[in-house]
This record gives sequence, structure tokens and C-alpha cells, in this order.
Amino acid sequence: MKLSLTRELSEIQRIVEARRAFFAERGLPATLAYAVDLATEELFVNMIRHNSVTTEAITLELEAVQDGVVISLTDHNAEPFDPRDVAPVDCTLPLEERRTGGLGLHLVRSLVGAVHYTYQNRCSTVSFVAKVEPQHV
Amino acid sequence: MFEAQSTPEGIRLAGRLDAAAAGQAELHFDDLASTAEVDMAELDYISSAGLGVLLKCHKRLMAGGGGLRLVQVNPHIAEILHYSGFDMLFEVVPASPARPPV
Repeated sequence: MKLSLTRELSEIQRIVEARRAFFAERGLPATLAYAVDLATEELFVNMIRHNSVTTEAITLELEAVQDGVVISLTDHNAEPFDPRDVAPVDCTLPLEERRTGGLGLHLVRSLVGAVHYTYQNRCSTVSFVAKVEPQHV
Repeated sequence: MFEAQSTPEGIRLAGRLDAAAAGQAELHFDDLASTAEVDMAELDYISSAGLGVLLKCHKRLMAGGGGLRLVQVNPHIAEILHYSGFDMLFEVVPASPARPPV
């Protein structure tokens, strides 16, 4: 499934609707839904906020794989922004020192693990895999 | 779809508190004073934008000797609060387990 998204936060609703339809069509487990929604939202919002010089659409792709789904977001006409370079968040800081910067990517890493990044022909693509954890008996 | 409603104890949230809803949520949280309960029984989803709203309000209230108390927190939201370290900053009360069918 491929979706073209305008650079508006209101598109998050369309992302969720598309994810729901894709999960239903492919029989993907609901247990992955929260992680996929959160990681997709955080990466999409990052693209909007870190690339304000273009009005070009962002492309969202969902691909079913064994036991899960691969999500990728491509920002066209973008300067490089590798989310893997964002410093980790220190979640042990006291309240007065806590900031929300970087928290989104921290949650993405916590929920789906590694985020992949490529930059080619001024296109930034971030992707991640969400898979069902194997059951240990 | 996100909804926020004032309650005698504070505020009740429902739906999805994502980046698109954070601005609307912030308006409601700005009205809270002293110590307030955030009822999350009907909240399905929260992202970092929603956590930012909670953190900002909690800091403001703590400065005056109050704070936010997060109640009826479902397991998904509890996991997000844990990963973000917010369970160390807020009092978090999990949702009661569903009653077994009679």
C-alpha cells in the first residue's frame, strides 16, 4: 500500500485509517498496531518539522512481511536528516530537567527497535520493521 | 478522534492524543490548577506530543505544590509511560482489571 501525505498533522488520521485497512486486509495482528501507529506518527512529524522548506508530499509505504510489516516514509526534496543521529534521551532525569525533545525517537526505538535511513537524490527515507515476537514455550 | 472533558477531580481523556490533538489537549490542561486527576480509562493512544502536554502541565502544577495524577491507565499507555520514564515522574494508577463475565 502506498499513500501520498500532505505536510499536515491532520494527515495522522489518514495514516491510522490506512494502517487499519492494511492490517485488516492482510490479517496482521492487532498487537502490532500501537507500535506501528506510534513509530509512523513520530517519524512523519519529524519529517514535517525538520524540512519546512518544501511543500512536496511525503510518501508512506506499508509492506507485509512474514510475521509483521515494513513501514517506510520518504521525504522528497529534503536535506539529510538521519534520525539515528539524534542523541538518546535520559529518562532518569528529574522532572525539572526533563524535556520532550528526542522523546519521540526514543519511543520509536523502544517499540520497534532499529530505524533504517537512506538518503539519495535529495530523498530521505526512514523505515522500520514491526514483527510479532516469537513465543517461547 | 480525541476528546477531553472537565471532571470534578480534573480531566477525562478519550480517544487518541496524537500530535494533531496535542494543541486541543493543551487548552484543557491549561485550565487545571493545583492537584488534578487525569482519567485515562477511555484514552486509546498517546504519542510523544501528548506526553509533552502532560509534562508541561505537571511541571507548572508541581511548581505550585500540586501535580497531575494519572488514573485508569490501560496497559498500552502504561507501557509508553514506562518507556519514557514518565512512570517515575507521575503517580500512575493502572486501570482495574475487567470484571469477569457473570
